This record gives sequence, structure tokens and C-alpha cells, in this order.
Amino acid sequence: MPTRLFFLLLLLANCPTVDAEPVVVVAAQQATERLSREEVANIFLGRYRALASGLPAQPIDQPPASALRSAFYQQLVNKDTASINAYWSRLHFSGKATPPLQTTEENEVIRQLLSIPGGIAYVERKQVDQRMRIVFEFMPRVTHESRVNP
Amino acid sequence: MRAALTRDGILFRSILVTLLAFALVGFATLAYTVQTARSAAEEQSRVRLEQLLDTVQSTLRVACFVKDQELAREVASGLLSNTEVLRVTIHEGDNQLIDLQRRRTARPDAANALERSIHSPFIEGDVIGRVRLVPDPEAIAGQVRAEIIERSLQLTWQLTLIAGAMVVTLLFFVIQPISAISTELHRMDPTAGDRLQIPAGHAKTEIGRLVRDVNALAGRLVHALDEEHALRLQREIDERKYHAIFDNAESGIFIVDRDGRLASWNPALARLFGIVVSEQAGGSMRLDALRWDKPEIIAELLDHAFTARQPSTREACLERTDGSRCWLDIVLSPVGDELLQGIAHDISELKAAEATARRQALIDPLTGLANRAGLEQHLSNAIRQQHRQPGAGFTLIYIDLDRFRLIIEGIGVSAGDEILRAVAGRLGTTVKHNDMLARLSADIFAVILLALHDDETIGRVTERIMAALNQPYLVDGSPVQLSASLGVTRFPDDGNDAPSLLRNAELACDKAKAGGGQRSEFFDPALAEAAEQRRHMENDLRQALREQQFELFFQPIVDIAAGRVAGAEALIRWRHPERGLVPPDRFIPLIEQSGLIDGLGLWVLDDACRQLAEWQRAGRPHYLSINVSGRQIPHGLPPAAVAEALARHGIPASRLALEITEGILLANIGEAQAWLQAVQALGVRVYLDDFGTGYSSLSYLNRFPLDTLKIDRSFVQDMATGNNAHSLVIAIVAMARSVGLQVVAEGVETAGQLEILSAIGCQYAQGYYLSRPVTAADFPEVASEIDRRLATPGA
Repeated sequence: MPTRLFFLLLLLANCPTVDAEPVVVVAAQQATERLSREEVANIFLGRYRALASGLPAQPIDQPPASALRSAFYQQLVNKDTASINAYWSRLHFSGKATPPLQTTEENEVIRQLLSIPGGIAYVERKQVDQRMRIVFEFMPRVTHESRVNP
Repeated sequence: MRAALTRDGILFRSILVTLLAFALVGFATLAYTVQTARSAAEEQSRVRLEQLLDTVQSTLRVACFVKDQELAREVASGLLSNTEVLRVTIHEGDNQLIDLQRRRTARPDAANALERSIHSPFIEGDVIGRVRLVPDPEAIAGQVRAEIIERSLQLTWQLTLIAGAMVVTLLFFVIQPISAISTELHRMDPTAGDRLQIPAGHAKTEIGRLVRDVNALAGRLVHALDEEHALRLQREIDERKYHAIFDNAESGIFIVDRDGRLASWNPALARLFGIVVSEQAGGSMRLDALRWDKPEIIAELLDHAFTARQPSTREACLERTDGSRCWLDIVLSPVGDELLQGIAHDISELKAAEATARRQALIDPLTGLANRAGLEQHLSNAIRQQHRQPGAGFTLIYIDLDRFRLIIEGIGVSAGDEILRAVAGRLGTTVKHNDMLARLSADIFAVILLALHDDETIGRVTERIMAALNQPYLVDGSPVQLSASLGVTRFPDDGNDAPSLLRNAELACDKAKAGGGQRSEFFDPALAEAAEQRRHMENDLRQALREQQFELFFQPIVDIAAGRVAGAEALIRWRHPERGLVPPDRFIPLIEQSGLIDGLGLWVLDDACRQLAEWQRAGRPHYLSINVSGRQIPHGLPPAAVAEALARHGIPASRLALEITEGILLANIGEAQAWLQAVQALGVRVYLDDFGTGYSSLSYLNRFPLDTLKIDRSFVQDMATGNNAHSLVIAIVAMARSVGLQVVAEGVETAGQLEILSAIGCQYAQGYYLSRPVTAADFPEVASEIDRRLATPGA
């Protein structure tokens, strides 16, 4: 299964029609440098709410209907939006786990990210600016790659 | 039916066996079920728990993913609601999220616990926790129990059904038919023709076959019984028949056991043995306890019949209780069971007759002395006695009356018998009473002198015998003189057995007789040897006759006045293959004694006639004379045979002459005369040979028809002018001429003798001067030579 997943990702990455390319970011002033996919999944799906620095993390979701949200979860845990919603619905009644902070529009995500300490969100790559730092990306850029792995 | 259920009934046994088998099968099945039900229940429980876990898996994943104890508790409670689950434990990583157990008291069965990893709901292969279910052992045990109960119930009704079916089957297909057959068999009377019915529906089953077999067996048994019955009837009839035979038989019939006890006997045997009938009741009569002359014969007979297992016969003499004696012939045959069947015949009369016959066979009826057989038996007894108890031996004297045949001819047979009886009487007075006398044949007697061996005593006895016999016998008032020749042999010196003693005595007697009679001779082994040689010679002669080893030689006879050969005398020679030419005086006497003379005489006649025929064909007018022995007259050379030979060869009878001697004329005057006349009637001439040597009675010349005299060579050879012989020859020639006989001078050896004979007027001469006897082949030459010689006087 991981192999198949890998191929799928590869396909997505090379497909020019896919314009949504979510990357996980934190506020730039945060100490967090890098997160693994697993850490990202744990944070966004309610398993942990703490960063490596010890700070509690507050995941911020894109609006429920956004294509980015769908793409993010799809790429992260290979689940569609309905599954993620069902998951949270189940936890909603029994558990103490809470879903990520829900937003209503795209811009609110960045605002919340920058305002909430420990905030962590996923945005379109092209939305990333100096205020935020990429801590996880599904498809690292070739430049990044060449730089990281000389 | 009730009977079928008894302890020994098939049904009872079958049911018992079936139940036992079923109990065994049931127990085995249950034991197996107990064994397998638990593991099956556990396995099923495990499968169910696995399925249970499957249903809550996704919730568990989420609960673990978010470490949500509440959610975990909810899931665990849900799992515990299943009765088979005793305890649920959920771990997230190393942290226990929840641990729930239904009853705290129950001891969880950790061995069967089911544990499963919990994966992240989002990342496959990422293990984030584990869940552990412990099944409730009581639940499983309950299941097992239920299972066992169910199986037991099932098995019970199945087996019961099968057993019931078997019982019913047995009852209807086996037991009922069998008991029906059995009841029928009890009632059945096979001899009355009853037979078993085949039970309905069993025509082709084993029961049906059994019934048919029983019926067939019954049939055979009835048949056998019928036969047995018929046989018994026949046997009873036979037995009555045999009983009648047994009772009415003339022979004594009895049964005797091994100990000689008489088991039963018939009336005839009681008569034979002189048994009183009432003794039969006692049954203790013993065969060997009767008063037999020789009880050992009976014991031996019993023993032999038992051991040899075959019929044995003995003759025994029994003295009856009334004192009378009888001879019995007893046959014992084994009849099994250590019993013998015996048959006894009274053979007393037979025995008496036999004894008489035996006595008669050994006794000469004329004189009352022993005959030859009696003598031989006595000799054998004496020899046996000597062997048992060697003593002085004994002596056998063989007595032959001299010329007794001639005397008989003179006085008649009955007078001869008188004399023989007298001889027997006189012999009786000369020997001791325990010596034995016998008459062997007509005029031959024998005496056995027991315990007498020395020559001197024997000599005295023989003298006494001869003297006694020499006394004149009065026949019809006139005295007859007799003499005897005696031959003596002694045992054991002269012979070891009766035949050789007798033969040797006869030889000795022959010697005495040859010596002139009226004398006795002791046996000399040389006599036996000579006899042996003679026997040899006789065999040779027989062979010679068979193989024609004889040959005729011819000595010319010259007519002196005519000066030429007139004829010849045929002389026989024996050309023996080994000994060469044998002269006649060496074998003629033996030929005469042995009776071969007849055959030889006929051969000579035939050969002479053949020679005459040959001469006749060659134009020679010679006659031929052949010698005839006294033994050939009258039957050895019958006149008819002479005529036949002459006719066969086509010769005039005048050519043949027969030379006879004086002895012929002396022996049997009547027969000789008739024979001579018959021969002369044929035209055959008769010469009297050797004239002058014997009685030369002139009366012969008158009484017998003769043609020619042959003057014996002794006169001719002694002849010299003026001497006695000369005078005798002159007288014979003159006398012959006077009675019309011709004369042949034999043995002429010189020219002088021939001259004298010529001067005397003797017609014929024969002798070495003229020629020796020559072969037929040489004869013509010799005859011509003689003729030439006589034609030239003085040659």
C-alpha cells in the first residue's frame, strides 16, 4: 500500500492540472522547523496537540468545501472529505478529542495562523510568504531538494 | 417365541451381542465427542470472537488513535455484552486504555486469550495499540456439555432403531423359520414319508436349502434303513440255513478261542469227540485237554493257526471217553476276534486203509518178504540209525538165482512161484531174526545183515545161503537144482546211501554171475569204475548211432575152385571221432547188452543192401554176408525188415547171407527155428559162423535150416598136412558135403593153407592171405587183384 501511495503521489505531482498544492505552515516566529507527515497527521486528526517544542499546537482547517482541504486530507491520509467528517462526527459524541479549528473562508486561515500561538495550518504553496514557514510539504521542490540533498 | 428368548436362544444372544456392540460404539463415540467437542467449541468461540473484533475494529482504531478512554470503554462494554467474552483489555501504545472483566471471580483462561494489534485508521501498517479478549471458559464448557448431550441422545435413538430392526429381522427371517422347522422335525416320521415344509418366502434362502438338505438326508437315511432291514432279514434266513447245516453236518464244526477253549460245537463234533451234550453249558471244555495221542500236535496246530492267520490242518488220534480211538483230520481257520473255526473229520477208516496200503506197498505178496521199496526204506532207516549211533555198520547181500528164467520155461510159472516161496523160506532160516529179507524182483533177493561187518563172518553167511539154496527143490515130485550168485556190499565202506549200496551189490553179483554163478563176490570199487566206463561207452555208442559213426568194411570170400572172388563178409567198424577206428570186439558186447544192437543191426542190414545194390549196378555178382547177434533174434531183426530192405534196394535175396552163431540156436530153440525158417523162406541164405568152437552138435545141422558152415579160423590156422586140425577140417568138409551144406574156411593166411583147402574140396576161403577187410571204395580194386592172383597159379 505505501508503494501504491507513492506512485499515486508521484502522478499527482507531475500532473500539471492539479493546481492545489497544500503545504503545512506555521507562523514564522514559531520555533518549529520541520514536521514529519506522521506528526502532521497526528496533529490534524486529533492524536496529539503538542509540538516538538512543547507548545500546544492548534491545527486550523480550511473551509469545509474548499478544494485545498480535500486535497490536503487526500494527500495526507488518503481519505476524502466525507470520511474525515465522519471521523470527527464519531469523536464528537464520545471523546475528548477536538477537531481542528474550523474556518469559514480562506483568508481567515492565515489570519488565525498568525494570531493563535501554536497555530498550524495548510495553505496553497503560492500563498506562502515571509510570515509563515513551511514545516511539511508533500512534494518538495526540486530546488529545495537539490539544496537539501547536494 | 418364548423359547427364542431363553438364555441360549439365538435372539437373546444376538440382542446381547448387539447391545454390547452398541454400548461399545456409543461409549467410543461419546469419548471421541468429548475429546473433539471441546476443541471444536474453543475453535468456534475463537472464530466468533474474531468476527466480534472485526465488527468493532474501526471504532477501536479511532479510540486508540485519539487515546479516547471513553470510546474504548464503550467498545469494551459492547464486547462484554457477548456472553462468551470474559474480559477485554485495550492498550494504546504502552498505555492501558481500558481493562474490563465481567465477573471478577472467574479465573480468566489466559491460554485461550485472543489478542489483536490495532492499526492507525489513517496510516496502514502503523500499529498504535492492541486489544485482548479473554473468552469465558464456562461458556465454552456449557457449549461442550450441550454438544455431548445432543450427540448422546442422537446416538441412543439411532442405535435403538437399528437394534430393533435387527431383532425384528432375526425374529422373522431366522428364528421363526428355525423354530417352525424344529417343531416340525419333532413331529416328523421320515419312515412314514413325512418331510419338512419350506417356510413361506424361504424357497431361495439358506433356510430353504437347509430344509431341502434335511429332507434329502432323511430320504437317504430311510433308504439305508430299508436296506439294512432287508439285509437283516436275509441274514436271519442265512443264519437259519447255516444253523441247519451246522446242526446236520456230518463233520464236526466248532469254534475255539486262543486258549483252546471250545466256544461252541455241533452235534457231529460231540459225537466225534464223545462229548456229553450237557457239558456245552459249562463252556470250559478245552480242545487241548482232550485225550490226544500227541497233545503237542494240537497245541502246535492252535498256535500255527493263530500266528500264521491262515487255515492249518493236522491229523491227530483221539481216545474218547468211552475208550474208543479215532483218527481226526482237524482244520482250523482264523475267523477274527481271537477265534478259530474248526472242522473235524473222522479219518479212522482212511487211516486204516492207508496203513494197509503202505504195508502192501512195501511187501512182496508172493513171499511175504519186503519188496524193493520196503528194502530201500529199511536201508534208509538203517543208514539213519548208523548216522545217529555209529556202530559196526551193516551188510547188504544181493542174491540172484542163476538161470532161473530157463528153469521157469521148463517147469512153468506156478512151479517157479513155489520155488521162489521155498527160496524165501530157506533164506529165513539162514539169517538172524532181526536181519532183513527182501525180494527185489522175480528171482532176485536181498538180505540185510545188521551189525555184521567182518569179511569172515560174512563169508560164512554167504556160504550158508548158497548151501541152503543149493539143496534140490521138489517140483511135482521131481527134484530141481538151483544155484545163486551173491553180491556183497558193506555200509559204510561200499556206499553211503541205499541206491549206491544196492547198485554196488548188484555189480558184485553181476561179477559173480559172470564168473559162472554159484559163488559170491564182495563189491570192489573197480567194479563201479568199470560200470562207470561202460556207461560212458554206452553214451558214446548212442551218439555214434545217431551220428552214423559206424562203417562197414568188406573181407572178400573166394570161390577156391573157380579161383575168383565170390562175395564178402561185411564187418562193422566204429570210426570214433577221437579214438579213430575201434574194432568190433571192443564195443559189440556192450552194444548187445545195452539194447543198441537192434538199431545197429538194422543199419547194417540197410547199408549192406545199399552196397549190394551198388555192386549190382557195377555188374559185380558178389554176395554179401552180415553178422547177426543172438540178441537180434527174433524181434531185433524181423524177417519182414529183411524183406523190406531187399525190396527197397532192389536186390535178389540170394545175394544176402546172414551169419549166425551156435549160441542163437542154443538160447531159444523154438524161436530161433521159426526165425531161420522165415528168413530162408525169403531166399536169404544162412551161415553158421565159428563152426567147431562150441558144441558143434551135428544135430543142429539137421534141425536148423542152414546153407553154409564157416569153419573157425583156429582149425584152419593150425592145419598142417596130417595133423588133427587137418583131419578135423577134412571131416567137417566131408560131413557138410554129405548133408548138402557148403563150407567157408576162415582165417586163411598162407598159400599153403589155401592149397590144402583146395585139395580137401572146401568151396570157399577167406582170410588175410587173400585180403584184410577193406572199405567199400577199395573193394573193387582188391577183388580184381585177388582174381588176377588166383588166375596165375604159384603167384
